Amino acid sequence: MQPILKIDLSTGLSAEFIIPPEWEQFFLGGSALAARLLYPYLTAALEPFSPEAPLLFLNGPLSGTIGPTTGRSVVCGKSPATGLWAESNVGGFWGAELRFTGYDGLWVTGRAEKPVYLWLDDGRLEIRAAAGVWGRDTYDSQSLIKAELQAAGAHVLTIGPAGEQGVLFAGLFCDHGRTAGRAGLGAVAGSKNLKAVAVRGTHKIPLARPEEYNRLRSEANHAIKADNYSEVLHALGTAGAIDYSDYLGALPKKYYHQGAFETVDKVSGSSMAETILAGSSACHGCVIACGRVVRLEDQQKRKGPEYETIVGFGPNILNDNLAAIVNLGEICDRYGMDTISASNVVGLALRLFELGLLKESDVGFQLHWGDVEAVERLLQLIGRKEGLGEWLAQGARRFAAHFGVEEEAVQVNGLEVAYHDPRGVSGMALVYATSPRGADHNQSDYFFVDWGQVEPSLGLQFFSKGAGAEKAANVARHQDWRTVSNALVICLFANQPVETVVGLVNAACGYDLDVPGLLLAGERGWNIKRAVNNRLGLTRANDRLPKALLEPLADGPVAGFVPPLAAMLEAYYAARGWDPLTGKSSRGKLVSLGLEDVAIDLWGPE
Amino acid sequence: MHAKFPSPEWVRELEQKLNSDEHYARTASKWEGDMLIVVEPTGNLTQRLYYYFDLWHGTCRKAANLPGPEGLKPAFILTATYDNLVKIVTGQLNPMTAMLTRKLELHGNMAVMMRNVPTVLDFVRCCTEITEEIL
Repeated sequence: MQPILKIDLSTGLSAEFIIPPEWEQFFLGGSALAARLLYPYLTAALEPFSPEAPLLFLNGPLSGTIGPTTGRSVVCGKSPATGLWAESNVGGFWGAELRFTGYDGLWVTGRAEKPVYLWLDDGRLEIRAAAGVWGRDTYDSQSLIKAELQAAGAHVLTIGPAGEQGVLFAGLFCDHGRTAGRAGLGAVAGSKNLKAVAVRGTHKIPLARPEEYNRLRSEANHAIKADNYSEVLHALGTAGAIDYSDYLGALPKKYYHQGAFETVDKVSGSSMAETILAGSSACHGCVIACGRVVRLEDQQKRKGPEYETIVGFGPNILNDNLAAIVNLGEICDRYGMDTISASNVVGLALRLFELGLLKESDVGFQLHWGDVEAVERLLQLIGRKEGLGEWLAQGARRFAAHFGVEEEAVQVNGLEVAYHDPRGVSGMALVYATSPRGADHNQSDYFFVDWGQVEPSLGLQFFSKGAGAEKAANVARHQDWRTVSNALVICLFANQPVETVVGLVNAACGYDLDVPGLLLAGERGWNIKRAVNNRLGLTRANDRLPKALLEPLADGPVAGFVPPLAAMLEAYYAARGWDPLTGKSSRGKLVSLGLEDVAIDLWGPE
Repeated sequence: MHAKFPSPEWVRELEQKLNSDEHYARTASKWEGDMLIVVEPTGNLTQRLYYYFDLWHGTCRKAANLPGPEGLKPAFILTATYDNLVKIVTGQLNPMTAMLTRKLELHGNMAVMMRNVPTVLDFVRCCTEITEEIL
């Protein structure tokens, strides 16, 4: 891979960092490599908003090539929301453009005296004043910085007012509305007075065997384009999953407390396609184009919502007005907030109001299910950290704790749960409980396996969507696979065989990996992230689900069912080779993965 | 109510099943659209087969095995190899798994399809329940 550029915003100094070659093959790239690189620096004592806290933007070895789905990059650090490992990846074109500058990553520390943005133009770094864009929303900031630079082809990754003000679910945005949303890393950037990073470059992506790679990526792109799943994503966006997810009982409603919502179809990808859809958008190197472009009554083209935003601001708050969801999603985007966490915390507020635990005097107005105007007011308060927004901006766990009912927050380790209910797709119980950044659907989209996407070459078996401990090893295997995806920073929506990815990695990097070898790298990545979290204080007690997900729903297709989490976890630790008492990777497991130094760090000298 | 797959009898049995199965009638009550199943020759099958079903609001208005697709503009086309289709109609291969792992190719209006995945799954259930023997 190419070097990483280290930048200290306190001093303004920068230096190249060469990635140790043995770590490249061991961890592949992306978030797994980032966990290895940041391991010594992420300590329990490190304050996420301190100048010392690192913010590492990183690509993978396939990033920036002409596919398949190679337009993503990842940002990593310590989450201010969870106090644990944080990674959040983003599509669009920014990550590819970063690679074109000749650097595969940016490692930012320090704090600028005044707001700044970085301008990396073909390897030349400039730290520029951001006074003119500080306070501006993410859409305007991108436009203003591009106008100021007058540099055709530049791409801008920026925070919004939420990141500037330390909203704990603030993200980073590029290419209009592409989002690194989760875990609050936008707020970490804000704490450094770092408004944005603009990049442009002309460097060639390094490939070990370019002819072989180009043949394989062409074949892979054609196969992905012809795939059923791609066809659904292209036609309907990720929201194409809404009807079936609802049928399975996996679509949360009324903040995870209701099993049926008759008008779900009004907000489905199918309905969007038949009503307000005006086009689609794609990331770099993508033949799927799952991004939505919609047109509302004002006839302006807007970013259309994806699955999570629709469910979060739709059934989650008992709203079936698709146009209102578009609007609420845009408000989050402009402030620079993650829509999963924002809609989750809003749903929590509605629930607490219904329970009488939150009063009109606390909010300033009444809250009722389906009242999108009230929800919009809440989002404005959060984005500005005004009134109740000061507490909502701390995320669901802290907000609920402030009102003495932490158990009401549907979160794991401080990260709000994504919209795939484990009572409908039980594999997600383990995924949420054990994911390194909290309740996360991107460390394993196992709901898709519970649908039936049982990739034979992964060695997965098919279990019913309500199965328990018997699917634990399956989940672990799938997490390893998705750790590979997140190390390569390729899109999870590319429904391709593992063998294809092995071929691409080997051709790009000059390796001779086989499928087990690739998955071993994934397992190594999963375990290094676990070890980072163990250093940050995570124990077995953190592997949990919130109360709401362990209580049966009274209605809907999965009424009465809860996943048997305790038995699943027991089987999971065994499958992982983790110590069942502490929840740490065992010494033997770490050594077998080549992580001897981590074994000594976690367990002491033998 | 059982038949050998693939055969003209199998198509007739399936038509009767679809028109008599209460669960299918309920599940498919909103389905509107004809479907062509294309069976690619593999294994014991030496030529391509075309099965046509005109499905409407939980009933099957017409079922036929056709010599070819000429003159048809079906709302949906499902294509699979004979070997994979055998696995599906005998219950050895979950139809969702088939669709999501490149064993069953699907073309048509995805908005309609994704609203009606349960209908497709129930159609397959009916297939498995009438399949007695394989060629």
